[in-house]
Amino acid sequence: MHLSNIKIINKIIEAKAAIIKTGIFMSLAAYWGVILVGTFITFN
Amino acid sequence: MEVFLPIAQVFINPIEILLLSAIVGVLSGLFGVGGGFLMTPFLIFLGVPPAYAVANEANNILATSVSGSTTHYLKNTLDYKMGFMIVIGGTIGTALGIYTFTYFKGIGKIDTVISLAYMYILAIIGTLMLVESLREIDREKRNLVVKKKLHVHYWIHGLPLRMRFPKSKLYESIFTPILIGLLVGFIAAIMGIGGAFILVPAMIYIIKMPTRLVPGTSLFVTIFVSVIVTFLHSFNYGSIDLLLVLMLVIGSIVGVQVGQKLGEKIDSSGLRALLAILLLVVGIAIAYDTFFAEQIQKEIISVSNSDLNFFSTFIIEFSKDMPFFYGLFSIMFAIFLGVAAAFIRRFVSNFKKKMLLQS
Repeated sequence: MHLSNIKIINKIIEAKAAIIKTGIFMSLAAYWGVILVGTFITFN
Repeated sequence: MEVFLPIAQVFINPIEILLLSAIVGVLSGLFGVGGGFLMTPFLIFLGVPPAYAVANEANNILATSVSGSTTHYLKNTLDYKMGFMIVIGGTIGTALGIYTFTYFKGIGKIDTVISLAYMYILAIIGTLMLVESLREIDREKRNLVVKKKLHVHYWIHGLPLRMRFPKSKLYESIFTPILIGLLVGFIAAIMGIGGAFILVPAMIYIIKMPTRLVPGTSLFVTIFVSVIVTFLHSFNYGSIDLLLVLMLVIGSIVGVQVGQKLGEKIDSSGLRALLAILLLVVGIAIAYDTFFAEQIQKEIISVSNSDLNFFSTFIIEFSKDMPFFYGLFSIMFAIFLGVAAAFIRRFVSNFKKKMLLQS
């Protein structure tokens, strides 16, 4: 019972870390998207 | 309270400039990065035209690097031979950079080019710094130790004309430091930055210099590069404003001292992610300014010479009548401020030691 609780907590922590990492990755992708599209529009 | 900058022809708030340069100085001292790539965008946001922001920040970097380099000279942590090799490349790179600057100024696109260059540099550094600091935090949480290779060889290590560098204990091709200097000089001329963010990693990972010699040698190179950039900007475009330089130097020298003291007391590795986010935010602000706010007509204030005080009139006439000597004076002015700051720091440090011994 105690072991399964630890496993669940670990899973939650891992899922939280994965969500944060995905969020950062998505933000960086959006950031670069804005910069590249903006440059493309400016030079056209 | 606003002050009119006679050369840049804009009104600025001196308290804002002093505060911002002090904040950037604190960040420089805390994280060991040059402040140029943050201060120039801030000057642009405060209304200083990009071409003037670049030139004046280069003069400010000259003062701060003279100050830092004097300290390293006194500690004997400088490799002059390696430094001079990088300076050779830096001189060629600076000349190429000024040529490019002149080309874009000629077609009226220099402000856009400077803004875009800053946007990309800040985005690249911010992204790399953020990813690296998050990895470090992740490793610390998992208690992971990463094993690194002792030697990594790149194509640059296979170049001919090898030479001995006794101080760094290296046997390296002269083209390696020259190529690195060329890149640094080119970027410094266009963006008005010292280039330490390229120079320091290149010296450690590509040239493989001992870490204790890197900061001093990097500052030594920065002196020469910023001297050339300052002189060429002053001589070609008369864009150095001594009033602005004075404010920038005072703010940044005080800020760097505070930052270095803070760095001794707190662990800055966790704060690195915050600096990365700050760089990304400044980058996106420049992007907004370049892509969306470009159409906003900036207010141009014309002030006739009769409205100016003696100091402002003197600066304008000096820069117009004797551009060569004005350029030399700007350089000597920055060197004097830098050396004075180094000696004041030494005096304060010795005074503190005496006080501690007495108590």
